[in-house]
Amino acid sequence: MKLRDVAVVAFAQEPLVAHDEHRTAQELLYLTARRALAEAGVERDAFDLQLAGSADYVDGKPFGFVQSLDVTGSWPPRQDSHLEMDAAFAAYYGWLRVQAEECDTVMVVGYGKNSEGDLDRVSNIRLDPYYQAAIGLEVTSTSALQASAYMARSGAADRDLAETVARCRAAGVGNPEALLQEIASADDLQKTPWAVEPLRRGYLAPTGDTAVCLLLAAEGKAEAMCARPAWIHGADQRTEMQSLGARELAASESAKLAAEHALAMAGVKSARAVDVVELSATTPVEEMILREAIGLDPRGGTSPAINPSGGPLCGNPFMMTGLVRLGEAFRQLAGKAGEHAVPGARRAIAHAAQGHCLQQNLFFVLGSEKR
Amino acid sequence: MSEPPKDPVKYVDTSLHLPYRYAAGDFRARYLRALKDKRILGSRCTTTGRVFVPPVINSPESFAPVEPELVEVSDKGVVTTFCIVNIPVIGRELELPYVAASVALDGADISIFSLIQECKPEAVRMGLRVQAVWKPDGERRGDHEDILYFRPTGEPDASLESVMHRL
Repeated sequence: MKLRDVAVVAFAQEPLVAHDEHRTAQELLYLTARRALAEAGVERDAFDLQLAGSADYVDGKPFGFVQSLDVTGSWPPRQDSHLEMDAAFAAYYGWLRVQAEECDTVMVVGYGKNSEGDLDRVSNIRLDPYYQAAIGLEVTSTSALQASAYMARSGAADRDLAETVARCRAAGVGNPEALLQEIASADDLQKTPWAVEPLRRGYLAPTGDTAVCLLLAAEGKAEAMCARPAWIHGADQRTEMQSLGARELAASESAKLAAEHALAMAGVKSARAVDVVELSATTPVEEMILREAIGLDPRGGTSPAINPSGGPLCGNPFMMTGLVRLGEAFRQLAGKAGEHAVPGARRAIAHAAQGHCLQQNLFFVLGSEKR
Repeated sequence: MSEPPKDPVKYVDTSLHLPYRYAAGDFRARYLRALKDKRILGSRCTTTGRVFVPPVINSPESFAPVEPELVEVSDKGVVTTFCIVNIPVIGRELELPYVAASVALDGADISIFSLIQECKPEAVRMGLRVQAVWKPDGERRGDHEDILYFRPTGEPDASLESVMHRL
């Protein structure tokens, strides 16, 4: 199949804070969308399709996504869809709609103030109500189950986890939109108390309040919106079973498959051939599992750069983290990454995940040239 | 929801408790605080001049930001569309039937929803002039229940033509 050349042409995110008591989710989104449109030098009506990714349980109301419409637009009536998923999946859907030649330009938004509800309870009821939710499991516990399994299989030790987090924290210093912008040494991280053993409090990804907006445009329109668009060369997503007991928690077959397919579509032989990788790794063990799944050394190596933005371990806005990864990959290729820029970056991988323990994985492969 | 299970083996009983605390935000807080002083504020679009009540930070239609200063609108207005409710409402003790109406306040370009009381339901009509009845001084807390309901003012009705574009 002949693919259309489609690029990310702008990305904006409000700086992530633990709790924003000054602005509503909708107000955060308006400011963000304004900045993204200003970056592309166009108005809202330049977009054929608008897509949102969010969770109604974060908003606390059914059909909560309709509150985004005052920002994305609903008059005159617009083409609009919402995904109850990380907003990166909305970007993937938008890319598909452009491939289907139904539109040329897509505005993708993610929002939902993490601080206003109780994410532990929400993560609990995402599990099945019969066997898993009933015993009180939530995201830190399921991540710890996965961490135990991975550590037993791979031999990774507490020190390895601490060093992985320390690397992310050092990178986060250069990211003005990260929630944690202070260095933390592996020694200090290893002194933080257990959250759920084998995960320490210092190893957890902090959620918070922000909003995100990413703009996609096809060849012929993208060039006018961005001097150095990040062209999407490949994309693929795969999911696994919901039941944790039925899955291989110590590795991610869905991440491996999705990455392989996205890389093949992009004509890139291996993840080692790219310059930057942004992973939705919300624990150090998830980072190791994902590195391994895409064929990289799980604990080390200097190329490609992994999460130069600091990654989710420096700020993990629930339901937006994946789109931030795509936005960060765009910034690296577009020369907009500022202090955390990877010099000369020409190819990037962006990853998003959904569900407990990396149940569903989405990969984009991007390049600074057209396919 | 159906009857509680009589045979526990056949069912798993799950009750969800999900508390939320929404920030009003600095912008909306000005509107809510003004209610305590029996004042209703709106925001004006910098492009079209339309006034939104309650205030929003951008015009949903034009996408333009609103003026930073909020504008005060009247607590009097006109009934646009309305309905006569004969089914109980969750969380409010109201004598049935009651009237729920869309009220276009003087000076505002969009309507707010409220109850119409102090008149028979059958007396409510499109174009009826109404005024807010506020909670007494000292009892208003800066939320939407500070306006108890609207009641007819006795003024002549607004023309249907003046109402039709504000439904």
